[in-house]
Amino acid sequence: MDRRHFLSALGGAAATAILTPEIAQAAAQMGQGGVDWQVAFADLETDVPRTGMKLVQGRAPQGLAGSLYRNGPGKFHRPGGSVKHWFDGDGLMRAFRISDGAATMEARFIDTPKRRADAAAGAVITPGFGTPAGPGAKIRNNDDVNAANISVMPVNGELWALWEAGSPIALDPSDLSTKGIKTLRPDLQHVPFLAHPRREAGGDTWSLGVNGKQALVWRLGPDGAVKSADMLDLPVASYIHDFTATKTKLILVLQPWVQDRMVMPYNDSFTWRPELGTKVLVVEKDDLSKRRIYELPSAFAFHYGSAWEETDGTIRFDGCFSPDSRFATENGKALMTGTWKPQGAAILNLVTLRPDGRASMESTGVAAEFPRTDGRVAGGPRRYTVHATAAAPNAPLFHGVASHDWKTGKSDAFDFGIHQLMEEAVFVARPGGSDELDGWLLAPSVNTKAKVTELHVFDARRIAAGPLGTWRADRALPVSLHGAFVRA
Amino acid sequence: MKSLSILAAAFVLGFTAAAAQAGAANAADTASLTVTFKGVKEKTGAILFTVVSEEGYDGKAPAVAQDMLPVSADTVSKTFTGLAPGRYAIKAFHDVNGDGKMGTNPFGMPVEPFAFSNNAVGNMGPAKWEAAAFEVKAGANTQSIDID
Repeated sequence: MDRRHFLSALGGAAATAILTPEIAQAAAQMGQGGVDWQVAFADLETDVPRTGMKLVQGRAPQGLAGSLYRNGPGKFHRPGGSVKHWFDGDGLMRAFRISDGAATMEARFIDTPKRRADAAAGAVITPGFGTPAGPGAKIRNNDDVNAANISVMPVNGELWALWEAGSPIALDPSDLSTKGIKTLRPDLQHVPFLAHPRREAGGDTWSLGVNGKQALVWRLGPDGAVKSADMLDLPVASYIHDFTATKTKLILVLQPWVQDRMVMPYNDSFTWRPELGTKVLVVEKDDLSKRRIYELPSAFAFHYGSAWEETDGTIRFDGCFSPDSRFATENGKALMTGTWKPQGAAILNLVTLRPDGRASMESTGVAAEFPRTDGRVAGGPRRYTVHATAAAPNAPLFHGVASHDWKTGKSDAFDFGIHQLMEEAVFVARPGGSDELDGWLLAPSVNTKAKVTELHVFDARRIAAGPLGTWRADRALPVSLHGAFVRA
Repeated sequence: MKSLSILAAAFVLGFTAAAAQAGAANAADTASLTVTFKGVKEKTGAILFTVVSEEGYDGKAPAVAQDMLPVSADTVSKTFTGLAPGRYAIKAFHDVNGDGKMGTNPFGMPVEPFAFSNNAVGNMGPAKWEAAAFEVKAGANTQSIDID
């Protein structure tokens, strides 16, 4: 019996008694070597029609009905040349629809000018986040390079596929067909719209269009119409993927990955400058000239949780922080060649901005990405953050899901094991319920052993108990980034 | 994507520096040029365009011809006569709202349709001279451009 088989034979209760952290780590590392994680980053060649998923465990909870829409890059390679970065694959919208305890899965590529140009050329010629322009690239404006591949925002009967440096692209939720580029106001055509808008509970949606040291602050009504669009000067031209907000304030974390030139691919325009530290710009929603800047140590993050303000004016929010921008510049590219340089996962941190101007960041020590919260408490006091967790340094992504309780500091986590690559979990409120996190988490994963996509539903307040139900598709879709649930 | 603002600026400069109407009508071997814009989606405003030499393309010389064509159909055209044969390019934009300027968003990116001769398209900026340039010979010449 070789060492790997010996370790894998240590199943069940015996394993928990015998496994020291060192052995567990060794087992994990050897095991990752056998994980075919590349299946989660493989091209999808054609749209996938709506197909039933097989319930393989548990059952759907009563009252869970609707559609989970998810976006993320879905095609990376073409005969004449391929994307050089995971973030540059063609936007692929997925829909997981749950009704009467049954689930279906479908996926359709977003019909972008980029996808058309690349398909016609038989090569990825459109430049992007980490991909240079190829011969014959014709780019009139930033929507010609819009991959529409990061997230999805349901609004007014449409789905908006969001990128971060171009316009939303509208889709029909019923069949995921592309309706077209959304110009929110004629004079604001092509102004970027971040993939992480902040929706107030039952109210307006805020987003940013970032260009160097300026940001246009979008405020949309519940119907998606522009209420205001004002410019905001930034103290530093940081890479901004996400921002956060309280009920009354917008909070922009200006990390020291700074744009100091304009070149393609886009990420080559940025330099990691840790000596600058991180600046946090806080502005009043109702008066963008009322601003305050806080200083934090240098760190890199893609994603933040929603912020809240306490009665004494203290502001808190969480984020998934890494020591530097290495994922954006290195491993995001390595994934496209089927490789991965060992890298620690981002860690969940709580940022505190104090009324006296001091700011601090406190690590939970918990590996975390794709933070989500209960949208009903957006901008207000809250207790929980849901996130992907359980990462091994020698493989990408995560194999668990968790919620973090900011009151007790406890994590409620479930680890599927190394053969499941988890996608972002989306919270779905239980009809009739009102308590924070009273509802379910819907999280797909790519099962790298079975080479299929699975959809798991958890009781959001009892994650460690494992999924209430798991459906299995007949194929694996490329791993997605961000999703949104629309109740039936 | 900032470089797109240069494109907008180039249009503005091109028009302010442009000489009035067609010039160079001195020899028997002059040329005529019929410029046709096709595929106009919004039948409002006007198409403003300049015919320029290589120096003019970079804004270093006045245009050899220019016009403002009111848009009332999906195809509009204009014939210039008395041009000196040579290599030229055309820069055009559709002034949809009729304010006489190429509209840009707050980051300087064009929000009104624009086009170049040969239907040349740039890569994050104006089309290159080499892509947009065409030969005008003595006699009748045509140039058809898709806009919108």
